[in-house]
Amino acid sequence: MKYEAIIGLEIHVELNCPTKMFCDCPNIPGDRPNSNVCPICLWLPGAIPQFSRKVLEHAVLTCLALNCEIQPRSAFDQKVYYYPDLPKGFQLSQHHRPLARHGWLDISDNRGKPKRLRIHHIHMEEDVAKLVHETEGHTRISLVDFNRAGVPLVEIVTEPDMRSSHDAMEFLKALRTQIRYMGTADCSMESGTMRADANISLRPAGTDEFNTKVEVKNMNSIRAVGNAIDHEIERQAARLGAGKEIILHTRLWDPEKNVTTPMREKFAGPCVPDPSVPEIVVSEEWLKELQGRLPEMPAQKRARFVEQHGLLDDEAAFLSEDRELAGYYESVVGEGIPPRTAAQWIASRLAPALKERNQTVSDTLVTPPRMAELLALVEKRELSAHAAREILLLLFETDKSPSAIMKEKDIGQIADSGALESLLDDVLAAHPDAVENYRKGKKKAAGFLVGQAMKASRGKADPKILQELLQKKIG
Amino acid sequence: MQDTLFTHRESPSSKGEGSGSLAGVRVLIQPNLSVKGWPAEAGSLALENHVALEDAAIVEKLHAAGAVITGSTRMGELGLGLSGDKTAEALAVEPADAAIVTDTMGEARYAALAAGFMGFKPSYGICSRLGLIGLVPSMESPGILSRSPETILRIMAAISGPDKRDFSMLSEGFPDFTAPLEKSAPVKTAGILTDCYESLDREEAAAFKKAAAALEKEGISIRELRFPDFPLFRKIHNVIGSVEASSAAGKYDSVRYGHRAPGTRNWNEMYIKSRQESFGPMVKAWLFQGAYFQFSNYEAFVDACRIRRRLLDQTNLLFREADILLLPTRRRKPDAFRLNTVKALYEAFELSCMANLTGMPAISLPGLATLDDQDLGLQAIAPFLHDPILPALARMISNPEKGNLDS
Repeated sequence: MKYEAIIGLEIHVELNCPTKMFCDCPNIPGDRPNSNVCPICLWLPGAIPQFSRKVLEHAVLTCLALNCEIQPRSAFDQKVYYYPDLPKGFQLSQHHRPLARHGWLDISDNRGKPKRLRIHHIHMEEDVAKLVHETEGHTRISLVDFNRAGVPLVEIVTEPDMRSSHDAMEFLKALRTQIRYMGTADCSMESGTMRADANISLRPAGTDEFNTKVEVKNMNSIRAVGNAIDHEIERQAARLGAGKEIILHTRLWDPEKNVTTPMREKFAGPCVPDPSVPEIVVSEEWLKELQGRLPEMPAQKRARFVEQHGLLDDEAAFLSEDRELAGYYESVVGEGIPPRTAAQWIASRLAPALKERNQTVSDTLVTPPRMAELLALVEKRELSAHAAREILLLLFETDKSPSAIMKEKDIGQIADSGALESLLDDVLAAHPDAVENYRKGKKKAAGFLVGQAMKASRGKADPKILQELLQKKIG
Repeated sequence: MQDTLFTHRESPSSKGEGSGSLAGVRVLIQPNLSVKGWPAEAGSLALENHVALEDAAIVEKLHAAGAVITGSTRMGELGLGLSGDKTAEALAVEPADAAIVTDTMGEARYAALAAGFMGFKPSYGICSRLGLIGLVPSMESPGILSRSPETILRIMAAISGPDKRDFSMLSEGFPDFTAPLEKSAPVKTAGILTDCYESLDREEAAAFKKAAAALEKEGISIRELRFPDFPLFRKIHNVIGSVEASSAAGKYDSVRYGHRAPGTRNWNEMYIKSRQESFGPMVKAWLFQGAYFQFSNYEAFVDACRIRRRLLDQTNLLFREADILLLPTRRRKPDAFRLNTVKALYEAFELSCMANLTGMPAISLPGLATLDDQDLGLQAIAPFLHDPILPALARMISNPEKGNLDS
């Protein structure tokens, strides 16, 4: 039987607000253990949670970036369970009344067709403390680091709209792009500021039932999410094929062995309205103000780059994916460089060079004005593309201007017809056979002659002008 | 030797600053109210050796007004009921002007009776709970015990008001406790809830009638009002209170403070054993009950929340018929200082928990509804945020010239 996979994601995103969710402690979980703590996030007796407006602002902006409807009223619940990483025996989360509902993101499916994936809801949640397990002599001990306790999260719960690992990975990439644009979270799965769990079930292709799902956790990259989903689809298909049942449970992805292994059934505790954190009210005025702060999002930017700048769609897609990169491109265009020239150079020359050096457009020496100056030299035909590539690499090493480097290295392009003409005359004189062949109609000979002239100019001659001169002289 | 009344006592020489609205006023508190450097065990092994790191908001305010907090008295386990509470006995030996007892289901009003004091519970949300080690966040308030309605008023003027650190408080519309009592609008009508009255035995009813008659003598007209749902107050308080308590006590995990059972092999065992040893039978039963509603009967809890809303609406309707509602503070049995079951707990506080469930202000007056050597207390409940009419009522019917109370 042919099966179809039904996939939904639950994604935790750590907001990058300056403070924790219910107190003023710095939101820096990686600091020296237990240095960012206070009576509230340690939940000492008599403490009362003080919900941060800044956190709400970040959360609302994140939801808006994911096309969600903000709920005017939402509330916190207590997710009750006992674990040493939870200092009060419950986690403050929004179970019954989440902050936002009905969002969506557009992706391209594996045939390149546009596909809209829906978000069921987004709720706010505090993170829990971190447990460190060690041994002291022969005794196993568990240490608790409360720096992460109370760090603000949003949890994004999708509809089960995904049908393949491709869909899920594209969704995560689109989500990351949108939120990074908003600037409210870093969204790095590798460093744990974004965590994604996948719910997977199979059904006979063409039917519309929902079968028992299995949750897979512990993926530390978008790639790993894809691998884990593929593996889980195979595992379930094999089970169903063998006439075995699928059992509702949670599995852990093992990135070393590329398999999922069952984990003990996680206890699902109750969710009780919290009596201490008041109802969250997002007024219409405030929501309007926040909507006014939304930047141009990647999809809009991509469309604008195609329509107004005349870029190809894949160029526009590449440049709009990262807000900084898009800004860089627009600055270079702002210096008078034709958009497609700027786009091609940034995408195929600058971006790989940055990656190689572990730099980003915001921390590199190759600033937009220097890049624009370099490209202007190419545009004015003072520099060949080949030489410009050479100079681009030097721009990473020195703060000299591109034209200064060009002069210093003497690799400016010879576009002066007089100079090129005498150069060409010498070549023609030295290769009478080739001239003869050319006159007889052997087009190849022209390439040879121009090549010889280029060689004589040590690569500096403008090949286009050489071509024209050759035509004039012997054509 | 362990002090049988106090958990902490300031040296007799420590006096107030001598200025402020409460200059020289001596106040006793319970060890569930944080005073920096004082033990704050809230009568529980779960908080063994816990010392407060900061002053509670109302302690800051008492200090700022010049009051002297002279000590903290032994209290019942986590303030649930009054078993083991020594406030009344301490007031008998300590020259204090007032005591503050956390009122979650009527404890302050009941304890006041035992001391022969008035007991006042303010409207919910007008006093900050920051630094109060409580059990039921949506129902608890600091209650004030004093012989003098003026002192109650002055203390309320000092400790009420906004606190940005307690988000469950009102942000505006606080009652004004600074106007003199005589200026307060007088109570004209008082409602007696017949459905409550019918639950009393004949002698209790007679004692209560006698007290109500004292009000009539002062020109207050008494009106009988129906409230068929009255018996639901204790049931709904019990469901919601136990659920909130179960969550609130979740932090007592022996990880960061409090009693930790020795010799356990892993954290799960450490949790279970420490909590097992930390809580007494009645608290344990109540927490179990709360966990039952959370884990196994959530629908009943949701129903209780809905009924709470309805009871609040019904109570508000009664205030169209009367300025205040009158009830005894307590029945003669059981004795709230000797409780060991949840059932007995709610029998002891069945007449007082209404004010906590609705968040309304209430006062208990001694010496008016007495039965043999027992004082059942005359309890008056006012509409939400109409707090000052209660000390004013107390002043009106307990004029020192009539000899029934101190000035």
